[in-house]
Amino acid sequence: MQKRSPLGTFGIYATVIFTCAALLFPIYWMILTALSPRTRLREYPPRFWPDDPQWGVFADLLATQPFALWMWNTILVAVATMILSLTVGVLAAYALSRHRLRGGQGLGLFILTSKMLPATLLVIPLFAIFKSLGLVGSLWSVVIAQATLIVPFATWMLKGYFDTIPPELEHAALVDGCSPLGALVRVVLPVAAPGLAATALYAFVISWSDFLYARTFLTTSESKWTLNVGIATLKGEFVTDWNTIMAASLMAAVPIIGVYLFLERYLVGGLSSGSDK
Amino acid sequence: MATIDFDNVQKSYGEVHAIRDFTLHVEDGDFCVFVGPSGCGKSTALKMLAGLEATSAGSISIGGRDVTELGPGKRDIAMVFQNYALYPHMSVRSNIGFGLKMRGQDKADINRRVEAAAETLELTSYLDRRPRALSGGQRQRVALGRAIVREPSAFLMDEPLSNLDAKLRVQTRSEIVNLQKRLGVTTIYVTHDQVEALTMASKIVVMRGGVIQQIGSPDTLFAEPANIFVAGFIGSPGMNFFRGPVEIENGRAQTRFGEQVVPLSVSPDRLPRGEAIFGIRPEHLKIGGETGGTPVSLGLVESLGTEKILHFPTPEGQAIHSLQKVIGSDDAARDSTTMLARVIDDRRYSDGEHVRVALPEGKVHVFDPETQKALS
Ligand SMILES: Nc1ncnc2c1ncn2[C@@H]1O[C@H](COP(=O)(O)OP(=O)(O)O)[C@@H](O)[C@H]1O
Ligand SMILES: [Mg+2]
Repeated sequence: MQKRSPLGTFGIYATVIFTCAALLFPIYWMILTALSPRTRLREYPPRFWPDDPQWGVFADLLATQPFALWMWNTILVAVATMILSLTVGVLAAYALSRHRLRGGQGLGLFILTSKMLPATLLVIPLFAIFKSLGLVGSLWSVVIAQATLIVPFATWMLKGYFDTIPPELEHAALVDGCSPLGALVRVVLPVAAPGLAATALYAFVISWSDFLYARTFLTTSESKWTLNVGIATLKGEFVTDWNTIMAASLMAAVPIIGVYLFLERYLVGGLSSGSDK
Repeated sequence: MATIDFDNVQKSYGEVHAIRDFTLHVEDGDFCVFVGPSGCGKSTALKMLAGLEATSAGSISIGGRDVTELGPGKRDIAMVFQNYALYPHMSVRSNIGFGLKMRGQDKADINRRVEAAAETLELTSYLDRRPRALSGGQRQRVALGRAIVREPSAFLMDEPLSNLDAKLRVQTRSEIVNLQKRLGVTTIYVTHDQVEALTMASKIVVMRGGVIQQIGSPDTLFAEPANIFVAGFIGSPGMNFFRGPVEIENGRAQTRFGEQVVPLSVSPDRLPRGEAIFGIRPEHLKIGGETGGTPVSLGLVESLGTEKILHFPTPEGQAIHSLQKVIGSDDAARDSTTMLARVIDDRRYSDGEHVRVALPEGKVHVFDPETQKALS
């Protein structure tokens, strides 16, 4: 390999540091705001170091708001959305990848175009449908609505992954005595683990960060609020406790980090290497 | 005990007829090789036998049992794939034992049989590795192990050696033949390499464009090719062809090769009038006699030590210009205006040298110019 010039090395580090700083600064600002006493929030110039951290803000939040319930609802929705999207996505993607369906190519593209419709456009008709199904106010409405957004892209991601797995691998499994579904579950899915993990993470993050659907379908049933709906109600009409909101947002972000750390080991590719010559 | 029968099997993908009128009987214990140029339908035929592709028409039996409608797992066969298709997420042990596990064998039994197969293939010390930590040759042996451990009634192999380097390929070739001899399991082996076919098979099926051209032992295919395609495909290098007149002299048929008059062993009434296509194997040409034959001037001389391949132009007016199409040869060195002679002697030959080439009696093949079939 060619040795990098010192200037090149400097350029790379400068870019990395700048990018990280730009990405991490909002999180730093959230932490700073959460820990600042309410009186200091509007000070100018702002302080960049919390010299008087108010740790009590987290306890206050848990004591005064049904934060745990919101968290639980959000987890239920995210996990259910993830399972639903992955199940539908895997089966659809596998069929598109392995069977030369008539018009399969066009179908694949068509699926993707549904991703181009903005959620705001879909929310009204979805509301009408859920209303007639009696699903408004149920967590299922949010799960299904989010899945409609996630499945197209998940299918596309997974199809790309399945396309890289040689069909001989399933053929071998079939000859070894697996049923077609058995070959998918025992051979294809384990080999596709990085693709599944990436798709699961995508589904989880999209679901976790949804506000529009949850707000539209769940507003009237307070016991079903998700984190984002709940946190939005903390913004009062006359006073807004930005430190409380930031503390809630920070706690809301923790599970995402957890899921990421758990899935990370599967995200690393190259698992399929060694199957062939 | 398993014979294999294809009965008038057809396969089409939409408009494409990949396999036509495929009828074949393979004896128990045979080593049967499907050979032909790439795209001729060898893999398709094998996959239909495995149950991985549906037949469009016809029926397939293994050991006398009609398996046409059975899934691959129910046909009691094992398959070795060109790219090996090892399960990358499993150890070598699990790879080899997977088929037994799927058939519900108990753990101790699986372990015993996996170890025995590994022993046979010298894989014992690699049993706990993943496929990715093995060399190409070792992966190939794991693929073989996966097949033999099940003790199936037939082995199907689709170009299992084509990913190995030349030396390992020759070595593995004889290992597979020995293994098959010892186990006595009926084997169908697919390759595009006619050398592999000739050296391994007890029965060869030559295919072209989805149609069987000839079925026979290696010796039969070499000595009595059924048509021009088989004659040109089998042999290294393949047969030389030229056009020649059909003459009847004293009730015996003869043709001419340059200046030489070549008597034919085919009876005159079986020959077409006017002209026919003639073939002579490169190793049957006599080079360098003092008299007889016809004088030619040598072109390229390829020497492999004592063995030499001599190129010389086909005699004036005897080249077959449509030959490329007939043979469909992908061998670029072969053009219809050049003939090859294979000699094993200590003489030195050089470009431009004038030598006499003679066609020995009884070694000349005659083909019908219309049907391209051999006449005898
Ligand atoms: N799934 C398929 N769809 C359409 N055509 C196919 C398919 N599989 C094979 N073919 C065609 O069938 C013919 C035979 O292919 P194949 O059996 O793979 O040839 P070989 O193994 O002899 O090289 C080829 O012309 C190929 O293009
Ligand atoms: Mg093939």
